[in-house]
Amino acid sequence: MISERCAACKNQRRKCPSDCIFSPCFPANDPQKFACVHKIYGGSNVGKMLQGIPTYLREQAANALYLEAKWRIHDPVYGCVGIISSLYEQIQNAEIELAKIQTQITFYKLQTQRVEAEPNSEVLQAQSSNMEQFEWDNPTIASWFN
Amino acid sequence: MSASTSRRGGGGSSGASGSGTKGRGSGGPCGACKFLRRKCAPGCVFAPYFDPDQGATYFASVHKVFGASNVGKLLSKIPAHKRLDAVITICYEAQARMKDPVYGCVGQICTLQQQVLALQAELSFLQNHLATMEIRQPPPIPPTQGVPTSTVFSVADLPTVVGVAPATLSMPTTFDLSSHFDPATAQASWAVYQRAMMDPRQYMAVASPIGPTAGGGVDLQTVARELINRHVPLQAPPQAFGSNAASMSAPSLSSSK
Repeated sequence: MISERCAACKNQRRKCPSDCIFSPCFPANDPQKFACVHKIYGGSNVGKMLQGIPTYLREQAANALYLEAKWRIHDPVYGCVGIISSLYEQIQNAEIELAKIQTQITFYKLQTQRVEAEPNSEVLQAQSSNMEQFEWDNPTIASWFN
Repeated sequence: MSASTSRRGGGGSSGASGSGTKGRGSGGPCGACKFLRRKCAPGCVFAPYFDPDQGATYFASVHKVFGASNVGKLLSKIPAHKRLDAVITICYEAQARMKDPVYGCVGQICTLQQQVLALQAELSFLQNHLATMEIRQPPPIPPTQGVPTSTVFSVADLPTVVGVAPATLSMPTTFDLSSHFDPATAQASWAVYQRAMMDPRQYMAVASPIGPTAGGGVDLQTVARELINRHVPLQAPPQAFGSNAASMSAPSLSSSK
């Protein structure tokens, strides 16, 4: 049974050794992945980068390199930095909107407290007018308290 | 995207001269050729962007990650007026990759995307909360004789809203991505990576408008209808409140006990 070459060795038209550093990260069924990475970073640079990374993290590193290479091919000027910039703008806009809504909520809370306080003031005024009426109708009794 | 944004995105880390018009300013080799220890040709593509002083330092990371020939090919395909932005972003990516060899800029994108999602969730929650308050707030009592009319309540009278994140979101020149080395969190965030791998353009599309009117109108109306339906049974017909209303409208000493 002939072992299939990885996408990197196929791209480089070389024999794929058994301990090929690229084979776990660039399987033969996805040739575009290595093609993108090779176009932007170069095969030797990718190999050097993968060698400096623990084995269990190499596949994730290769995927991250693939993403960055893909974005750079799509946008040669800004690459993934354009995405970072737009995300920062989104965060800034969201925080501005949050501040506005929090202000509105605070406003409604204060307004509710003000409305709840107003009926009590009306009751107290009504009570004081009743007291005045009581003293007018009963001056004798009211004089007991003077 | 304007150059200022890209410069913000690059964090000013390229050490580029920024002139973009002249080649070797001081007469010696540019920073790139100085690092490569080669003769700096008159039409060197790196010369306008890597000065002899700090340019060599920045070019070192660029060369280690991308390779000089790859960057040269990339710059030669870009129009001259865009090359400065390209150099800045390439330097930014190279430095991010040097600091985080596993995830590079992608880790930062994942973190920012999670922040955006969290903020959007908080925004929608507060919008619903605000809609609830607008429905529940009782109508203002009309002013009677002898009672001073309520003064106009100005937003300027509100206390300072605390807890709001500062608006300073300028791209940092340096950032700590050591948290992205945790494989547990990395695996959880690969869902974002895989989505991005399908189509990176979803990140590059115009940012969806974040605001009360952005698709939130339908949700608010639905919430409002539900709240009204809940409160209708509590509001008994006027006849049932007739006696209560009479007793409440004329408070007496006995009722105040």
